[in-house]
Amino acid sequence: MSYYQSFDEVPGVFPYQPPSRPDPETYPERTDNPNHDPGDRTRVTGKSKNTIEAVKEMGTTQVPEIKSNIHCLTIVGQIEGHLVLPPQNKTTKYEHLIPQLVALEQSTEIEGVLIVLNTVGGDVEAGLAIAEIIASLSKPTTSLVLGGGHSIGVPIAVSTNYSFIAETASMTIHPIRLTGLVIGVPQTYEYLDKMQDRVVRFITSHSRVTEERFRDLMFRTGELARDIGTVLIGQDAVDCNLVDEVGGMSQAINKLKQLIDERKAGDGGLKH
Amino acid sequence: MILYTPMQLELVLAGFEKLDRSSEREVTVNGVPAIVKDIGGGKMELVQILSTNPMDFLRSELYPGALVKADS
Repeated sequence: MSYYQSFDEVPGVFPYQPPSRPDPETYPERTDNPNHDPGDRTRVTGKSKNTIEAVKEMGTTQVPEIKSNIHCLTIVGQIEGHLVLPPQNKTTKYEHLIPQLVALEQSTEIEGVLIVLNTVGGDVEAGLAIAEIIASLSKPTTSLVLGGGHSIGVPIAVSTNYSFIAETASMTIHPIRLTGLVIGVPQTYEYLDKMQDRVVRFITSHSRVTEERFRDLMFRTGELARDIGTVLIGQDAVDCNLVDEVGGMSQAINKLKQLIDERKAGDGGLKH
Repeated sequence: MILYTPMQLELVLAGFEKLDRSSEREVTVNGVPAIVKDIGGGKMELVQILSTNPMDFLRSELYPGALVKADS
């Protein structure tokens, strides 16, 4: 019988069985096996409410959480020390960084620390404190100087097991001095000289630059407009043995992974 | 205190006299003792973590400058 027959064959009786899908299965097969795989399941994908809120409030989306065995510490702006600096400064606070480094040393998940620097220097004692604590970490560390790692940023850059500098990044090496208030007594000069010796000693003992070379860079005239000293850009810092290699993020991470593997292999051969 | 920086000290220290720390107080944030600063509108900014547990310093929601709520 055709579906399209235009008249009723038997009045009042629907002439054909409409096509229909089979009845839904009311009692699906069940199994007592807890490992039973029910087969294809529908996956619902989409953004959770939190993600949308993050975009609205901060202009950022949340990065999916992947536990990394590397911790990245960024040291930016002025390194703030014993004195709170006015709010126009971007600062790295040592009272936050030092316990973080303690936690990283203790953490079982973190196997290596990457230090990313873009700093204009800052407090001598805070900078040296951070550098000393990085140098004394038992976990492998690498540093990457991006943009600038000036003055007290230099000891922090060299405090790691292996240091990198971006091709365009610069490091200013200049003497420590008090600008502004200078008290004209001999002790002032002696004191500043001692402070400077602390920095020089740290840098020469944690990098391959010689003291003579470093002091030569520090007191060179004719390079800086308002000061004596030197600006080292990328390769220059490697040429004078201050930094180990010119490189970027991938080199710094690969080196860190290599150091982690070496440490795992039990070489214990972490060298400066 | 010696600042070792190629930046001009007048720039770094500009406004140093105007620093006001009177709105800072000590509270507990998510169970962690901390110094916070009122920044108006009932909002508080974390200034410093006072905890002695080093792991508190790796918590992602607690860092200097974070907007926080004090535990009631």
